Amino acid sequence: MVDTLFNYRSSRAAEARLSVLLGGWIGRILVLSSVILILAGAALLVIGNPLGWLTASVGVWPLALHIWYRRYLRVLPAASGNSMDARLDTELLGRLAQHVTPKTLAGDLAETRGGQFMTARFGIGPSFVQNLLSDDEAGLDALWKKALELQPSGIVSAATVLSAMTSTQESLKQYLPHLQLDEDDLASGALWYQHLTELIDQHSKPRRTGGIARDWSFGYTPLLSRFGVNVSNQVASGGFFNTTLEAHRSALDFLIQTFSNGGKQNAALVGPLGAGKTTVVAAFAESLLSADSKISSNLKFRQVISLDAGSLISAAAGRGELEHLINELLVEAYRAQNVILCLDDAQLFFEEGVGSVDLSNILLPILQGGGLRMILTMDEQRFLQISSRNPALAAALNRITVGSASQTETIAVLQDQLIVIEFQRKVTYMYQALKEAYRLSERYLYDQAQPGKAMRLLESAAGYAENGLVTSQSVKQAIEQTQGVKVGANTSGDERDKLLNLEQFIHERMINQVRAVSVVSDALRRARGGVRNESKPIGTFLFLGPTGVGKTELAKSLAAVYFGGEDHIIRLDMNEFVSANDVRRLIADGADDPHSLSAQVMKQPFSVILLDELEKAHDTVLTTLLQVLDEGILRDIKGREVSFRDAIFIATSNAGADHIRHHIEAGEELEQFESALTDELISSGQFRPEFLNRFDEIVLFRSLKPEELLQVVDLIIAGINRTLAPQKISIVLDDELKRWLVETGNDPRLGARPMRRIVQRVIENTMAKRMLSGEVQPGQTVQLTRADVPADFQQR
Amino acid sequence: MRMLVVSLLSWWYGAGWRDQIHLVSERLAKAADRYSISLLLRSLFSPFRQISAGSVSGPLDARMRALFDKLISRFIGAMVRTTIIIVGSVALLLGVIFGALRLIIWPVLPLLPLAGLIMTMSGWIPW
Repeated sequence: MVDTLFNYRSSRAAEARLSVLLGGWIGRILVLSSVILILAGAALLVIGNPLGWLTASVGVWPLALHIWYRRYLRVLPAASGNSMDARLDTELLGRLAQHVTPKTLAGDLAETRGGQFMTARFGIGPSFVQNLLSDDEAGLDALWKKALELQPSGIVSAATVLSAMTSTQESLKQYLPHLQLDEDDLASGALWYQHLTELIDQHSKPRRTGGIARDWSFGYTPLLSRFGVNVSNQVASGGFFNTTLEAHRSALDFLIQTFSNGGKQNAALVGPLGAGKTTVVAAFAESLLSADSKISSNLKFRQVISLDAGSLISAAAGRGELEHLINELLVEAYRAQNVILCLDDAQLFFEEGVGSVDLSNILLPILQGGGLRMILTMDEQRFLQISSRNPALAAALNRITVGSASQTETIAVLQDQLIVIEFQRKVTYMYQALKEAYRLSERYLYDQAQPGKAMRLLESAAGYAENGLVTSQSVKQAIEQTQGVKVGANTSGDERDKLLNLEQFIHERMINQVRAVSVVSDALRRARGGVRNESKPIGTFLFLGPTGVGKTELAKSLAAVYFGGEDHIIRLDMNEFVSANDVRRLIADGADDPHSLSAQVMKQPFSVILLDELEKAHDTVLTTLLQVLDEGILRDIKGREVSFRDAIFIATSNAGADHIRHHIEAGEELEQFESALTDELISSGQFRPEFLNRFDEIVLFRSLKPEELLQVVDLIIAGINRTLAPQKISIVLDDELKRWLVETGNDPRLGARPMRRIVQRVIENTMAKRMLSGEVQPGQTVQLTRADVPADFQQR
Repeated sequence: MRMLVVSLLSWWYGAGWRDQIHLVSERLAKAADRYSISLLLRSLFSPFRQISAGSVSGPLDARMRALFDKLISRFIGAMVRTTIIIVGSVALLLGVIFGALRLIIWPVLPLLPLAGLIMTMSGWIPW
């Protein structure tokens, strides 16, 4: 069976072996010997020796061999038949031994371009792969079959063979998950290699662009050159726009069709930023420049010039001046007879405002008349706004929708476009980086559509390349730096320590409430360990209990300890959301209300979201929050999806505080009456069951005991000492004073808050007076006792 | 070895020769595109760079002046284009000649050592 799939002795296999031989130093010697023989022959003839004829003519043979190699052997075409020797890539076929085994094949693959491509793009180390594979020849049968199946016609590349190898060799298959890959990824990599090879072939072919006299019948365009960008020139000087997306291809066809026929000579490319509208315009310009393209002659070699609204508006200060300038530009474009004007971000030409101007009166007759070919690109939302304000304008335009790309399409576009970035930034992108860029850009970047946002992320990831290789880790680092989030399960040593000892760090700031601290810490560990549900927020908690027991403090501590500071807390006082209309404030656009929940999370997705006094919010507001708690997604007022999947939700409520106190006073533990309290909250109508169900945990907080309040006093004093530290002053309280503060400040209904006020009045006021009177000097440690309490407090 | 020699010769006089024809024709097509003679012929009397192109309405003297300007523009265009047509035609002709030579020499190339042997044996020296 093996023999039928790979015949070592076939003529193509022999030619491939010769090709490998001639591709090395032997080939160079042949060329050199040819030159030497011809020159030597000529020299012999010059000195009158007829042997020169034979010497020079023999030099032709190595030359013939070299030509044979360059024009045929180097890339052998596929032969007839469906065996590997008839279809395999020359580079690999020429290296195969007579008795090839999976192990030797892996070694051969490492020496081919296809194999090296897969090594670089997927991180499959050749030596490691060799160690995993066997020396058993029998294993190859299935491998060859799989390769032929993956590549049913044409040349089977080395990349395809490597992909087939991972599918058929069990040891290799098990290795793939370590690289965050599966068999489909490898198959897609083989297609990527094939596609790039085709692109390079296509690019190296001579391009017919109309010749030196192409533009002589058309007018000069000095003004357009000054205020516009000649897209055609840009494309001709090196651009190559492959329209991989089906949406792009159909938009391109529609553009060609629109401008080839009579009727309205304009097209409006409408779609979100990043969907590829400008790429379609560039691809259109490129197809017009090619003498080989099958387009009507009245369209061939036309120049696409893009007008920049910003530079136009800045060049013409007054309104009249701008209209005059636009008129001159339009006249110039019309007279030149070969210009297709492109108004990029065309909405700027149709609306009043900062950086925009309404030129509908000038442009509308031209769009309706069709005397000048025009392409407009604009955002979907702005197109709708313009349509509702100026229906005549919308009616005059041939609308072409350019939508956001799917994952497969985005990856395909990235594979095409990254060649340019790789060349410019001197980096290589791994396949895993492309997949990660799609996933993370979908999740964290809102202001653009695919493939634009994935491309943007990959461009910034180039700055985090390791040894010139952009990995999925580089992409994660890029998103973490630009968006302030923490993604993935990989954590540094410091962070790992912090996560493992999170409870301890939090308890440095707050006393007791062990269970609450523990559930929140667990949630964070699950998130950073990569074992949480990625389609929900990191954690959603409802803290119930009396006031002043540390519910809000826990949220603040968490933000300070893990999220990078207390400013990473998004706090909403729900008593400000008591009417149905307040939902608007939750989902307002950031441009109108930077303090809306959606806007704040867009800016800072990795946050603690504190919903204080939840029970006071209106039902409609709670219903809006239901979806967020459930799916981690909220649609803002503009319909954009805002992800809350990197946030921790902490809702606090005093509801049931009296019940908790009664239960605790009756000597019960919190865990004993947790579910009973939840039932009470539902039956009393304070919370709807579906809402309570959305929380991961409902945590009860109990009042602090006197000995715990003593620890709270220590925390407050530590805080005061931190404030005094720049002045090199510290204070120490004796136990009697601490006990007095607890006894005086403790109020079971109000928790630790009254005590904080007492400390503020007694300790801080005393210290302020002493410092102002010069009684306390820098470097001093002040011992405070019960006797230091001012007289007006003593009687309490 | 014998198989490889047969393979080389069969390519040389088959696909290799066709490949050379393709190369020559591609080179000619590229030259034709560069000089775009057909386009130059089609637009031989068009106003050069659209200078003074377009119709002018108004008094007779203005129209006469515009007509005169347009004639000059067309004349300059015709001169420039004719020059390029001549240069292009020569370049194309040279391309055809060298291409034909290349295609003629191609089949003879492997036989040159035989000719060299005969010449050596004859002892002929051109000077």
